[in-house]
Amino acid sequence: MSRLRTAADQALSRRGFLVASAAGGVAFGFSRVLAAIDPAVPGSVPVATTGPSFEPSMWFGIDSAGIVTVNIIRAEMGQHVGTALARILADELEAEWDKVRIVHVDTDPKWGLMVTGGSWSVWQTYPVFSQAGAAGRIALIEAGAKLMGVSPAGCTARAGAVHAGGHAMSYGDIARSGTVARQFTPDDLKALPTKPVKDRRLIGKPVHALDMDAKINGTGIYGIDAKVPGMVYARPKMPPTRNGSKVVSVDDSAAKGVKGYLRYLVLDDPSDTVPGWVMVIATSYWAAVKATDLLAVTWTPGPGADMTEQALLDHGAALVAKAEGGIKLDIADDDSTPAFGNTAGQTIEQRYTTATVLHFQLEPLNALAFEKDGVFEIHAGNQWQSLILPTLAKALGVPETKVVMRSYLLGGGFGRRLNGDYTVPAALAAKALKRPVKMIMTRSDDVRFDSVRSPSVQRLRMAFGNDGQIQAMEHHACAGWPTQVLAGPALLAKTKKGGQYDPFAISGADHWYDVGHQTVRAVANDLANTTFRPGWLRSVGPGWTNWALESFIDEAAHHTKTDPVAFRLKLLTGKGRNAGTAPNAVGGALRQAEVVRRAAAQAGWGTTLPADTALGIATSFGQERDMPTWSACVAQVHVDRATGFVRVQKLTLVVDAGTIVDPDGALAQVQGAALWGLSMALHEGTGFEAGQVKDTNLDTYLPLRIADVPEMDISFVESTEVPVGLGEPATTVVGPAIGNAIFAATGVRLRHIPITPAAVKAGLKG
Amino acid sequence: MTSFTINGRRVTTAVEDDTPLLWVIRDDIGLTGTKFGCGIGMCGACTVHVGGRATRSCITPVAAVEGAEVTTIEGLDPASNHPLQQAWRELQVPQCGYCQSGQIMQAAAMLKDFPAPSDAEIDAVMTGNLCRCMTYVRIRAAIKQAVGKSAVSETNAAVEPKA
Amino acid sequence: MGGKYSVTGQGVIDEVAGVMLKRILLIVIGVVVLGTVGFGVFAWRPSIAKIPQPAATSFAPALVAKGEVLASAGYCAACHTVRGGQPFAGGYAMATQFGTIYSTNITPDRKTGIGGWSEAAFERAMRHGVRRDGAHLFPAFPYDHFSKLSDGDVAALYAYFMTRPPVEAKEISSTIPFPLNIRALQAGWKLLFFHPDRFVADPKQSAEWNRGAYLAEGLSHCGACHTPRGSLGAEKHDQAYAGAPIDGWIAPSLTRTNQAPVPWSKDELVAYLATGVSQYHGTAAGPMGAVARGLSKLPPADVAAIATYFASRNGSAAQGTQGTQGDTAIRQAMTREGIGLGLQYDPAARLYAGACASCHYNGKALNPLRPDLALNSAVSMDDPTNLVRVILHGVSAEDGAPGVVMPGFSGFSDADIARLANWLRVTRTGKPGWADLQNKVAAIRAQDRGQ
Ligand code: FES
Ligand code: FES
Repeated sequence: MSRLRTAADQALSRRGFLVASAAGGVAFGFSRVLAAIDPAVPGSVPVATTGPSFEPSMWFGIDSAGIVTVNIIRAEMGQHVGTALARILADELEAEWDKVRIVHVDTDPKWGLMVTGGSWSVWQTYPVFSQAGAAGRIALIEAGAKLMGVSPAGCTARAGAVHAGGHAMSYGDIARSGTVARQFTPDDLKALPTKPVKDRRLIGKPVHALDMDAKINGTGIYGIDAKVPGMVYARPKMPPTRNGSKVVSVDDSAAKGVKGYLRYLVLDDPSDTVPGWVMVIATSYWAAVKATDLLAVTWTPGPGADMTEQALLDHGAALVAKAEGGIKLDIADDDSTPAFGNTAGQTIEQRYTTATVLHFQLEPLNALAFEKDGVFEIHAGNQWQSLILPTLAKALGVPETKVVMRSYLLGGGFGRRLNGDYTVPAALAAKALKRPVKMIMTRSDDVRFDSVRSPSVQRLRMAFGNDGQIQAMEHHACAGWPTQVLAGPALLAKTKKGGQYDPFAISGADHWYDVGHQTVRAVANDLANTTFRPGWLRSVGPGWTNWALESFIDEAAHHTKTDPVAFRLKLLTGKGRNAGTAPNAVGGALRQAEVVRRAAAQAGWGTTLPADTALGIATSFGQERDMPTWSACVAQVHVDRATGFVRVQKLTLVVDAGTIVDPDGALAQVQGAALWGLSMALHEGTGFEAGQVKDTNLDTYLPLRIADVPEMDISFVESTEVPVGLGEPATTVVGPAIGNAIFAATGVRLRHIPITPAAVKAGLKG
Repeated sequence: MTSFTINGRRVTTAVEDDTPLLWVIRDDIGLTGTKFGCGIGMCGACTVHVGGRATRSCITPVAAVEGAEVTTIEGLDPASNHPLQQAWRELQVPQCGYCQSGQIMQAAAMLKDFPAPSDAEIDAVMTGNLCRCMTYVRIRAAIKQAVGKSAVSETNAAVEPKA
Repeated sequence: MGGKYSVTGQGVIDEVAGVMLKRILLIVIGVVVLGTVGFGVFAWRPSIAKIPQPAATSFAPALVAKGEVLASAGYCAACHTVRGGQPFAGGYAMATQFGTIYSTNITPDRKTGIGGWSEAAFERAMRHGVRRDGAHLFPAFPYDHFSKLSDGDVAALYAYFMTRPPVEAKEISSTIPFPLNIRALQAGWKLLFFHPDRFVADPKQSAEWNRGAYLAEGLSHCGACHTPRGSLGAEKHDQAYAGAPIDGWIAPSLTRTNQAPVPWSKDELVAYLATGVSQYHGTAAGPMGAVARGLSKLPPADVAAIATYFASRNGSAAQGTQGTQGDTAIRQAMTREGIGLGLQYDPAARLYAGACASCHYNGKALNPLRPDLALNSAVSMDDPTNLVRVILHGVSAEDGAPGVVMPGFSGFSDADIARLANWLRVTRTGKPGWADLQNKVAAIRAQDRGQ
């Protein structure tokens, strides 16, 4: 992922800021009205600009009415990313918030890498947008000074206007003059002064999110709402396996009885994204749904047609048990052999597993595709346009420049829409039919070939010296590797020795505790990789690594008869490799220790609770060592011994994410992430049966609902450090906190999520 | 042919009788605020009002609303300013927003039965509405805030049961 | 609906129909052996000559208005109108094991309707099941009940239908194969089962009771659905209103054997028949939907009369809604209502909480529009058919509580529906779950696909 981010960085920073006036509203590669959407206006069509506008960089423009339009290349999927990013820019620009608009742009290559995931958006965009805003402010002051006939030195920018003495000129009026011209080189930009923290007016302050109203009155336009004249509807008929299925024959005699059914298409896909998929085309979606049910297709299935969840877990267990195989991460400073075996003290070892989990983003996958003037347009909500564009080009047999994606609101992402596979069948059908095709998957279509969170098996070991001190620790994690399967080897991480591994599938295991000699090994579950297409799911690897790690640390604490909070604090010293580095990880493990300490205090750690009720703690650094979001959670649970029901009474979370740009949004993200964690710990989880997930809709897949929500106490560490991501870390601390609390309440240690009442009861029976 | 009223407007549709009301509303009438989530009546994203009661449109055949009065999120309040919408806005409830039309429609119907709902009542009635972004804490808070200021006059409870 | 016993397509009655088919064939053979000629003489009915079409103005408006109410109370439109079609123009398909038959055009169209029918011809059809041209009608048309009609009511119905807008709509011939389609054979059935008697009042009962009995037995033909039938399809008069399968539904018992937790008192019957909803029992769904719609047009006194009649037959009069049984049931229902709500891990309870509770949860007081499931007739009955059907297909805005819809959960698997229904049964009524429910759900679904 470092590679991925480096690429992104380059894309963002390599551009200078062309600061020049542009007359009229069309200032982009594509007409803005077509290219972009503004979720805040009915129909999401951005309002046309008024009069001449000033576009100091490609990131924003100011029109003659003073409306500041900020271009957002990130996908809006609930994190109010446009609001968070626009306010960084607007703060530096000294714009008035009620004049700020956001548009989500298309995939014009000029935007660089387009990906929304890993909670990177704010972290990545922060420097760029601060500088862009500052550049705009300086240019406006200069131009305003000239227009008012005063010296720029005597001018200040404030509330969307340039002020000099008693005079003021609004940004809109300056833009209307059409006289602004100023150029900044990348070096100029880096040197630009940004505001001191105390002068911030928008960052860290409550503001009204710009996408909120459209999400309350039904006017927000999501991918599923996209439409163009003359489009037909499609639903895929999906083959028995995700990979390698081939169509043998198709019989549509029954489907022909459906009014509105037009035809079927056996997709020919050079990109091999949708092998064996058949598209059913109809004049209405309902007709497509019914006709697909009636279409009889025979296939030769690909690999994994008889796969079960148990077989996947057994295979993973065998792989982590073996010494060879997998990739060891560059953790130890030297190549010395691990301290296991030659320590005189004791060793503890445990195995942890997690079940297959569905994304189940509420908006089923869909895409609208058509060809216009030789360019294929794909209208959909997507999180990683840059990843799927080359695939689309290959599938369609056209150069990448002939494919453009237009962004819509996402009815949830959670990582599912990082994988843009669903755009391919729509594009292929549109090409074959030479007319616009709107493909919508039914919920079970979506789920059957979801890029699920892989089941995982992990083996953890810890060796103690005679003195009871930890000598060594090993963490072996085996799961499907999403990055390998979905993004290809180029985006895998490399060790010094040249080993390639999926950083997303192991991240979290390379923790900040001082444990002596540390080994972290990532093992790909090849059966998983061929049976399905493993996905990145909210927080990805830490979703399982932290379950194992934080349960195991708790076991180690109890093994050494140490309080779990004290045990953690003892290991979070911030020394050596855990000292932390600038810019993102300043403070290192000491900041993690701080959230642990605060969460424990906040939750009343140590107080006596009623019978079968207890607290459990877990902590995390988010996803990556070089961009840590320090989080800790204390769960208070009650266990009903008769039924095995676990009632989570309260979750206390403390998060240190550096500067909080959007406090309300940050709180929302942590609320959502923590409840996801709870849902995956107690309610979600499916399994493979005959090569496919066994639960394909909400009748048997039972995610958390409002009645399951516990009391929540969430707080943030006030900080002026670099802002880092918030959408994911809280997801990974809740599960182990619950598991640890169950142990504290009953003495039963559970090592598989989701935790079921049956497992609790079995544990209680001993 | 099915005729019904939607947001006060009389419409007649010639689609097949078994077509779910959801697709008629979205694709034929063109109101896309009502969403498709699960298609089996288990998520509530498609909730509209039929005869004033919250109804899952994805599993309601259009023929079943013959002569009925349907209200969608677009018609809940002429200025999108229903007390619930105000509270939703103030507390910034939506994340991705996809479930929220359904949440608001369900909550609006609930307030007719329970003008000042308790937590247990909110749980009972709102559990059918899945929010995958897990905005539940705010949904609950917003309902309570709306109740504080709302003038929900029309209540089904006005028809007192005999027992 | 009323009178469709021999024309019902699918459902539990199929078995009966199968037996019927065999017996009818035997009778046919028997009849042939006995002598075609003799039977022909017996079966023959004269044609009644066409008359010049009476002018609409020749009927007294009050008589027409009375006829309209009666037509409603007899649900004529339910069978004589197709969905979205012209009123009373016929063509409504009734699938049977023998083939599909179609209802006839009863608008006063001269060519294709009853425009040339005299009142005598109309009266003969109504009370004797014989067409103007002398052909026998299939007993799908409940003339065995309409025979009880008073002369005045027949005249009012005639006036009403003769003043409807005429619609040209040709009769669609049935797909019943030879020889079963020989209408003269119906005479044999009549010989065995049909007694064309007028209604006789019971002097021991009140005027209201007798009025109710007259409507229920005659025009509203309640027994056509609620009385079990013998193997040849005739109502078993010794088991009147004991409950019977109809059109794939179960018409519940209207006697003391009714299994509803709260007795069907007169008040509850009045509410149900006049509005389609009884807050202590449920809403009128399936074939009963049209019945409640039709009866709601009757003057309140007539609805009350029907209610009085059935309240006396089911014994609730002795008990009343506020009686012990009802009170206990209501109290129990209110405590059981919360089961499965809040945090729970039982997958069936989660299904209920996700799919049903948002509407069916009542809180502290019963919602009159939304009967509590613990009190619901369909949940309490020994046969799960009605509950399964309602879950699968819901209740339209026209049926049940007017203007309100219950959606249909046909997207659930058979296992889901069985799980949910049995969970409701056990938690709400305290009775054991239904055996073999999943297969039963599958069977009902298969029937519906066949229709
Ligand atoms: S889409 Fe209708 S309930 Fe889920
Ligand atoms: S806000 Fe995203 S599903 Fe509720």
